[in-house]
Amino acid sequence: MRSSPSFLSRLLADYGMVMVLALLCAFFSVATQSDQRPTGAEAGRTLASDLLKRHPKGARILVAVPDQADAIAFAETLQTDLTRGGVQVHLATGDPKSARSALQAAAAEGPLDAIACDATSASWMVFADVPTDFPALGRPRIEPPTAYRWPNFLKRDNLLNIANQIAVIAIVAIGMTLVIVTGGIDLSVGSLIALAAVLTTLGIRDIAGAQQATAWGMTSSCLVAIVATGLAGGVTGTLITVFRLPPFIVTLAMMLVASGGAYLLTHGQSVYQVPDSFVWLGRGTGPFGLPIAVLLMLLLYGGAHLVMSGTVLGRHLYAVGGNRVASRYSGVAVRRVILTAYVVSGLLSGLGGVVLASQLKSGSPTFGNMYELYVIAAVVVGGASLNGGTGRMFGTLVGAFVIAVIQNGMNLMNVESYTQKVVLGLVILGAVLLDLLRERGWKLDLSGGD
Amino acid sequence: MNARPLTIPLFLLLLALGCNRSQETSGTPGGPSGATPAKPSKGTIGVTLLTLQNPFFKVIGDTITTEAAKLGYDTIVLSADTDVARQANHVKDFVVRRCAAIVLSPCESRSIVPVIQEANAAGIPVLTVDIPCNEPGVKLLTQVATDNFGGGKEAGQAMLEALGSAGGKVAILHFKQAESCRLRVKGFRDVIDAHNAKGVPRIDIVMELDGGGAKDLGYKAAEDALQATPDLRGIFAINDPSALGARAALEKANRTGQVTIIGFDGQPEGKQAIKAGKIHADPIQFPDRMGVEIVRAIVKHSKGEDVPKELLIPTSLYRKADAEKDPSLK
Repeated sequence: MRSSPSFLSRLLADYGMVMVLALLCAFFSVATQSDQRPTGAEAGRTLASDLLKRHPKGARILVAVPDQADAIAFAETLQTDLTRGGVQVHLATGDPKSARSALQAAAAEGPLDAIACDATSASWMVFADVPTDFPALGRPRIEPPTAYRWPNFLKRDNLLNIANQIAVIAIVAIGMTLVIVTGGIDLSVGSLIALAAVLTTLGIRDIAGAQQATAWGMTSSCLVAIVATGLAGGVTGTLITVFRLPPFIVTLAMMLVASGGAYLLTHGQSVYQVPDSFVWLGRGTGPFGLPIAVLLMLLLYGGAHLVMSGTVLGRHLYAVGGNRVASRYSGVAVRRVILTAYVVSGLLSGLGGVVLASQLKSGSPTFGNMYELYVIAAVVVGGASLNGGTGRMFGTLVGAFVIAVIQNGMNLMNVESYTQKVVLGLVILGAVLLDLLRERGWKLDLSGGD
Repeated sequence: MNARPLTIPLFLLLLALGCNRSQETSGTPGGPSGATPAKPSKGTIGVTLLTLQNPFFKVIGDTITTEAAKLGYDTIVLSADTDVARQANHVKDFVVRRCAAIVLSPCESRSIVPVIQEANAAGIPVLTVDIPCNEPGVKLLTQVATDNFGGGKEAGQAMLEALGSAGGKVAILHFKQAESCRLRVKGFRDVIDAHNAKGVPRIDIVMELDGGGAKDLGYKAAEDALQATPDLRGIFAINDPSALGARAALEKANRTGQVTIIGFDGQPEGKQAIKAGKIHADPIQFPDRMGVEIVRAIVKHSKGEDVPKELLIPTSLYRKADAEKDPSLK
């Protein structure tokens, strides 16, 4: 019988993982520092006043930016301010090709004093070739906005990306935490994600009216898919509790059945005939500029935390995982508790599949491949023990973010795929080691006392 | 007590620092504004390939890296492991980094559409390599791929050459799911049909079986073909693994002398088999040339020159004589 971990060591365990996350963030913030050049109207104003100081009235300046909303706002402000300052402005928006034709047009009217660029257009080779390709233009200087140092990692867009990228895995990890707390494992979640994505998109395409589907039609398709995966979870749960089959084998079988089913239903093709509005769930933006999927994830974690810490079900889950025999003698309906965990895991896998289908605006049986491993990793990194009895929702969320931050950070740092796998594997190993140390009261016992 | 949980993060930090060291030296930070940027960093090319398990894609990635480095670009090559959601995340990360260009071989041409559109909206040029994406609503700078139709024709030529004046019955080991393979078979059939139109000796394509593009399935399909057609003279397999599978079936049936195999790809194992006379010939693909063309297209775009919408890399027929001269086969 294991003694329940003391309050202090539990705190340390949580603290440890949050610490890992914080250190990872700090590290990637330092490592992905790079020159950022501002864009948008404000940057245009600053660059204009800067240029006006250095160029006399009547100077000729080409403003060249790519065809992108912020860059165009930047260019238009720049143009207005420069023209007001008495500078002759040529504007070119689009790709380098349109910049080339703008240069050609400008060359007919004599030399150019400067070329004002944004971050992207500053590196276009077309401007480097000006002295050779357009001798009539003289040697104009390339003038991008003043750069400042800021990590790519800490950009608002990137942080939202991380949260959005991990939303599906984090949602599914809630159900996995329940299962792992009871001392089980659910290998079928990846396939259930695929099955739900396929069922949802098939429902929308074949029943709800494809591209003309209404919000009602789409919602019911999603619900049907989620209920179907919930039923699948019910089947696994029943087999595990009634026939006492090992969860590893039962869920492995369900993984094959669900994946095969998804391939059968779609003949291996992806289903994409869905309305544009279907992406609302996966890519829409809600209050505070947070993506809907991320809000959903946070909401679910809030709910799950309450269930785990403040309800009878939560206490029973821990009890069953901690000591099954003892909890049965204390009157816990062990079978029902375990069944609930697998049903919830199925339902949340289904929800994850719906979110993924919405993010990718299609459903395909190839979705969710290997997700079970990432989900289990998130739960274990979050501090849950595969022996059951321990594990917290907050820890799982932190674990999911640790994985997401490592993947994203390494992508931003030019770490190639092979190395990424090694690092991710080592992190998971490190987390399990941490788990082991915690269980032994932070004493590393190398004498092999068992 | 308190220090123990710190050992792991510290270890990680060291590890990551180690990884980073090599990159720090290669990147040249952009010059400050005002100074003429003599040697500006031209930015990063983000590459996300179907998989890096297959040496074919590894060659594409490596060639892009070396070619781009010559011109002052940094490159990051990632493997999507055939997971389209992962590939979508890669593209999003590239957009955040403001990559100079994004190169991908789509895991799934439909599901990848939304993120290509995100890259389009950010004004970043997107290129596909090996696997095209012909969906509406995406802007692609160019698509570089093997000329599979031309390659199929070369395979047809090789079959004519092998069967010579006798003619005979031929089977195709197909992989119909892939557009590239459908093109290969179309090219092959075109040549055979043109030959038959001229008269004798006829070459009859008696069957078209699914070889799955894999050794085990190719083996089974070839076994069936040998059973069904006792006087089979040739097999065209749409890639090297299924060709090698077919060869194994011939060996088992003791009919290696009667049936000629034409493969496709030119993977090292396939080339070795050609050298040993097990496969008659392969139209081979050039992943390295694909990488070169990708970088060339990015540079042309950056210089403001026209880039064709599609770049097809021709294959070349590789026979036993080529294999004997090939320095890569030792």
